[in-house]
Amino acid sequence: MERETLDVDILIVGGGPAGMSAAIRLAALQRQEGGGPLAVAVLEKSRQSGSHMLSGAVLDPSGLDALLPDWKERGAPVETPVKQDRIYYLTAGSQVRAPITPPPLRNHGNYVISLNRFVRWLGGQAEAEGVDVFTGFAGTEVLYDGDRVVGVRTGDRGLDKQGGRKGAFEPGVDIRAAVTIFADGVRGNLTKTLIRKQGLDAGAPQTYAIGIKELWRIPPDREAPGTVVHTLGYPLRSEEFGGGFIYALPEGRLAIGLVVGLDYRDPRFDPHMAFQRFKQHPLVAGMLAGGEMTRYGAKALPEGGWYAIPRCHVDGALIVGDAAGFLNSMRLKGIHLAMHSGIHAADTAFAAVRAGDVSASQLVKYRDLINRGCIRRELYPVRNVHQAFGAGLLAGTAFAGLAWLTNGRWPAGPLPSEAGHERLTPLSGYYSGGPADPDTPSNAVKVDRALTFDKLTNVHYSGTRHDEDQPAHLLVQDTDVCRTRCREEYGNPCVRFCPANVYEMVDDGTGTGRRLQINASNCVHCKTCDIMDPYQIIDWVPPEGGGGPEYEGM
Amino acid sequence: MKIAVCVKQVVTREWPLRVDEARTWVEDRDASFEMNEPDAYALEEALRLREQHGGEVVVCSAGPARAAQVVREALARGADRAIRVEGGGLAAADAAMVAEALAAAMRDEQFELVLTGLQSDDQGFAQTGVVLAELLGIPHATIIMEVQVADGRLRVKRELEGGWFQWVSMPTPALLTIQSGINQLRYATLKGIMAAKRKEVRVVEAAADLVPRQEILEIRVPEKTKQTHMIAGSPSEAAAELVKVLREEARVI
Repeated sequence: MERETLDVDILIVGGGPAGMSAAIRLAALQRQEGGGPLAVAVLEKSRQSGSHMLSGAVLDPSGLDALLPDWKERGAPVETPVKQDRIYYLTAGSQVRAPITPPPLRNHGNYVISLNRFVRWLGGQAEAEGVDVFTGFAGTEVLYDGDRVVGVRTGDRGLDKQGGRKGAFEPGVDIRAAVTIFADGVRGNLTKTLIRKQGLDAGAPQTYAIGIKELWRIPPDREAPGTVVHTLGYPLRSEEFGGGFIYALPEGRLAIGLVVGLDYRDPRFDPHMAFQRFKQHPLVAGMLAGGEMTRYGAKALPEGGWYAIPRCHVDGALIVGDAAGFLNSMRLKGIHLAMHSGIHAADTAFAAVRAGDVSASQLVKYRDLINRGCIRRELYPVRNVHQAFGAGLLAGTAFAGLAWLTNGRWPAGPLPSEAGHERLTPLSGYYSGGPADPDTPSNAVKVDRALTFDKLTNVHYSGTRHDEDQPAHLLVQDTDVCRTRCREEYGNPCVRFCPANVYEMVDDGTGTGRRLQINASNCVHCKTCDIMDPYQIIDWVPPEGGGGPEYEGM
Repeated sequence: MKIAVCVKQVVTREWPLRVDEARTWVEDRDASFEMNEPDAYALEEALRLREQHGGEVVVCSAGPARAAQVVREALARGADRAIRVEGGGLAAADAAMVAEALAAAMRDEQFELVLTGLQSDDQGFAQTGVVLAELLGIPHATIIMEVQVADGRLRVKRELEGGWFQWVSMPTPALLTIQSGINQLRYATLKGIMAAKRKEVRVVEAAADLVPRQEILEIRVPEKTKQTHMIAGSPSEAAAELVKVLREEARVI
């Protein structure tokens, strides 16, 4: 097969805040330092820059200040300063407001933003600087020369369900680069293979959460723009880590979401149902009354913190942003760290290309920049916090407070931590009182399609679109496990942890049995299935470039 | 052959539509946009004609500044250059106004062939191409399923009702409105995207004196009405009754 190749100096795989920051920084370095022109390309699977971006989002502008100090003059869509922080502890029908906001959650000086619009703007800045931003192209394979990363292959386009070529078939392109910067986001499909192949894993396994979010239009005078509300407690139980967020944007736009640790024990727990319960709480329902849901989305986030960060430099490649796990789960923020890591990676890659040495021994400077800079300064003191939440919410909160008071010296050393999916408990162990129905969530609610929604309705509001006639992009190694072992042991938790109704157990035609049906075109690319599957047999690979959600305004 | 293709930027079909506060257009502040689907087929047809007969393909669009997105996409797929008429009032303009804006910018180019999509996914009047042909003073044919070019003349296949087609022979210059699905759309390639950055885009301000010929008084979302009609009786009686209902009431068979 004739395969096109493209040679660049630095290839950035993933056009999120980390990848775009690396691109913009590289362009700036080139301008400052001069020398021969560097070819810099960004590969992004979404149809347009920013389409797959989903976050709360409250932005700590430190990364943006470092990247583009004149961002205000450049018209960055960063316009709503945080005016007020409120924290509540929720019980089923009531709430207690925290008298003070703990310092890590103080947002003075930060901004409520739409990450979608912010990243689209960053993409425009990168393109204006001469960077090639290739949207609609997914990286599907890492190219190696021995152990050295030499680029990425993009996915074939125009394949039918069986993998046969359609009329418009276009083979993937080999993009070869001196340095490849992996910015493929939380549980990035390429970073995942790179970490496994090269054994880059840190001592502690990465742990994750899923964030489910809606955008609402409410009467514009109800919540002042810049209002930031965080909640703990209901609808989560003490054994579940997470909390809710409500951020007010101008023109009556309200971002509302729930983050749930992907280390819950109850196999019948459904994070999407928990989000519906969150909206039903009087505090939240009151804010949404008379409003209208306009957008929906979900995305996983890395919460393992400092000890879960893998080695991020190898021969020919660096890892940045959520792909590496640069997220401060105690401050609920990662965009600024993603941007800082992108800047550090750009500085390192630029020097390496100019020096003509892109080996790990040169690229190790990236680690030094992280260790000397704000990323370690921010993440190291809270290095034990999420692991501590594994012991339960109250213990975790106490640990978090102690960690903050003692600058992370206590508790000392990494606490034992396991991968989140390992905490999922079989039905028989969790429901000791008798057999539990595997087909109903333990936290089911009846949806009213006004305040609460079923997953399918929600997916419609995510703008998700895939060409139906293409190979499935959710590879389940052995679907026999689903109808036999998993049904018995866990009651098919994928049906519940997927927030987009991708997984369904349907009648297998015999009248008694079930089989797995994968509705791949619903997928919102959140990666939860790849993370939370108790048997670890689901592999998320990118669908045809351009497919996926359209998170306009999210 | 010097070919123009007119493309429009429309709200994506996946967007859950809401009516705006004035109730005269859809709320598009948070919408995402894409190239009108029939226009994408028109573009593909133009690229194929260029491949067969040589010449150039010029993509033309009239709309607000955000329409630059679809112009660039067309250039990445292979159009040679672009003319973009920019005007804030063009976002929800009627067909006559869009056609006037396009005609003013296209007239001096003396295109041999102008292709448009059959209709737009938003307003769906199927008029922009027809009015544009009148303004440019060239003949047109609509709902085109196939285009053949020989000896400076066109032979085109029109879609009629009920599975019938009509072949029309016509001179150039001419305008054709292209039906969706007449060809297979190509993907933009990496090299196409890189090349698009260097292609000429002529941006023209829309004339200030363009006036709409139509006024949208109100847009309403259709009310959902669902009626369930249970048909009783034995299977054969029920089947006969069902056929009767489908034929006489629903009129679908």
